[in-house]
Amino acid sequence: MNKIKALINSLVAGLFATLTLLSISASANITVLAWPGGPAEEALRKVVDHYNKTSDSKAELLYFSRDNFFDKMLADVAAGSKDFDVMLTATYSLGKYAPFMTPINDMVNEEVLSTFSQGAIDTQTYQGTVYGLPTDLSLHFLYYREDLINELLSNSSWQATYAKISAEYLGKEMKPKAAEDWNWDDFIASALFFTRSINPDSPVPYGTVLQMKNLLFNIMIWQGTAASYGGDWRDADGNITIDSDAYRRGLKIYKDLFDAEATPADSLSYEYAEANAAFGSGKVAFYTQWSAAYADFIKPGEYPAIEGNFTITNQPAGDMGPKTHFHSLGLGINANSDKQDEARAFLSFLGTNEAMSMFLKEGGQPPVTDPIMNAHAGDRLDMLMMAEHTAKYGKVMNGGTEGGAFAIYANMAENFTAYWAGDMDVDTAIVNVTKFLEAEFAK
Amino acid sequence: MSLNPQTERQQAKKFLYGLCIFLAFMLGFPSLANLWFSFNDVTFHNLTGEGFAGFENYRKALGNPKLWEALGYSLRFGLVATIFEVGIALFMVFTLHPLLLRKPWLTAVLMLPIMVSPALMGIMYRLILNEFTGIIPGYLNLLGFHVTLMSRSMIQYTVIAIEVLQWTPFAFIILLTARQSLPYELEEAAAIDGAMGLKYSLRIVLPLISPAIYIVTFIRFIDSFRVFDHIFVLTGGGPGSRTTSISIYIYKLFFQRSELGESVALSFVLLVVSLTLLYFGLKLVVRKEQS
Repeated sequence: MNKIKALINSLVAGLFATLTLLSISASANITVLAWPGGPAEEALRKVVDHYNKTSDSKAELLYFSRDNFFDKMLADVAAGSKDFDVMLTATYSLGKYAPFMTPINDMVNEEVLSTFSQGAIDTQTYQGTVYGLPTDLSLHFLYYREDLINELLSNSSWQATYAKISAEYLGKEMKPKAAEDWNWDDFIASALFFTRSINPDSPVPYGTVLQMKNLLFNIMIWQGTAASYGGDWRDADGNITIDSDAYRRGLKIYKDLFDAEATPADSLSYEYAEANAAFGSGKVAFYTQWSAAYADFIKPGEYPAIEGNFTITNQPAGDMGPKTHFHSLGLGINANSDKQDEARAFLSFLGTNEAMSMFLKEGGQPPVTDPIMNAHAGDRLDMLMMAEHTAKYGKVMNGGTEGGAFAIYANMAENFTAYWAGDMDVDTAIVNVTKFLEAEFAK
Repeated sequence: MSLNPQTERQQAKKFLYGLCIFLAFMLGFPSLANLWFSFNDVTFHNLTGEGFAGFENYRKALGNPKLWEALGYSLRFGLVATIFEVGIALFMVFTLHPLLLRKPWLTAVLMLPIMVSPALMGIMYRLILNEFTGIIPGYLNLLGFHVTLMSRSMIQYTVIAIEVLQWTPFAFIILLTARQSLPYELEEAAAIDGAMGLKYSLRIVLPLISPAIYIVTFIRFIDSFRVFDHIFVLTGGGPGSRTTSISIYIYKLFFQRSELGESVALSFVLLVVSLTLLYFGLKLVVRKEQS
């Protein structure tokens, strides 16, 4: 009988010991829900590996698929999920996720400010509260084939054709310019010139490739056109200003290029990947694209048709000069998490010079301060240009970080793509979007 | 040994209990929760509801003109896809039945498309149809056809074609099973009476497998009507709302516009309408079969 008692006691003790060990190891591990795919994922994996080797607390990465990432994350946090402790943040959806996140203003100390500029921290701030540390800055560049544009600038026969096409389509004879000096008329004229159905001697089938799928991220790319003419969602008094010359001009640029077939006929189903495939195939002369594409294009052997033969510059200018939408993705703390301290420890590590230098070297695009950038960006032209372009041309629409910003972009995508496809006239599209913005900002 | 009808009914009930319990948990509970949500002012920030909303969510849902656009698209999509799927499946049954009797393994090959998830199908076609990397535009160009299958004039047909390509095998397997269940003696008797070939197929086989045709038509219509995955992956419901089905509409209402109450109310209305149609549809099929 005593033996049985001893056996039961030892089993119970063993069970307790196992449970205690399990609970210790469980509390020491945090899960980080981050943006999947591309150079950012590869870089973050290496940074997390380093963290796990050098820290008592361990972090594990979790990736949803990129499709509808934010919807899945929203459903999880709204349901009180504790499956991840650190979660993704984005400038344009901070207002939507802020109620589910832990404020981290107290973490923005001297070390963090020596890693990220205050401007970068502001992209993770909503109504004065900081919710995340910015790990990836995104903006848009004009990507173009250097060989084609250089030839256009030096070949008199090409220039004569260019003048003829611009006179026919834009009503004025134009001369080619260097890509960094383009305005939107130069963009249109060059796109038409390099389109084979318009200029049979064009070395490529298409001048440009536009991303026109009914997708909110495509509107972020397009809105550089409207912003460059002074377009904004609201004025300083909060009045909706979509019904403006700037928006009409911006919309018309895409419509005209699409109707002239200067972009592939299936552009209405194009987003990031399709546009990269088009430019990377060597069949498109130039296009505007997210900054993240640069890291992919410079990988040796990935895009042989354009390898060593393309570069990037600012987007074309409107009356207000070149403008680009920009935002940052970052990491913040899930308010539902039981491991707030461990999550804070991980974010503190991310805010160090060491972590972000490593992230940058491994292919990430963190908005770090100049000393870090100059020390580690090396030959990454995109990184060297990002801080400058954000400061000079960056534009966040008035209301672009509010809770309804996501819905506004989605509504624009629906109405503006309908206009581009010929299903709706421009006035109806603008009225629809204006009404929607009024309703969203009135909530 | 045959059982009397009362014992048979009792045994049938026992088998049904399991199914009923499963359905109560898997469908009943979410349906009740949704019913409750539809009468409350729910938001992502307060999933338990900020107050009783009465029929407000239903009023908003049914009063939105975008709903009727999406409903119209889904109906058209469902009808056209179903007609093609059932039509092609019937044609395949009549033409391939003798071959499949000799080589039944071919049936498995024909079933391959339905093994692929619709979302994956959408991603595959994003690659296959791409003008720069896709094999279909590549081959069409080689043959001298310069058609862009995802262009604004073709997009509606392309998304229907993808649905038909994926789900015709489902209609085919049901109709083939019905065809193969017909006794061989029937064919012999028909042949003696002079009914062979097309006459035999149209006058004898077609009426005998008609209950299966009704059922498969019904199932395929309901399934195509609520299409989501491949259209969402390929077009996002666009351009504009040209390919926005009712499922995509509800999804966007829920996630992009955060109109939880309205979208749940709409889902509930559609559920009730579908169940009513299903009830009367099946009743009709059973009555036809009995007569």
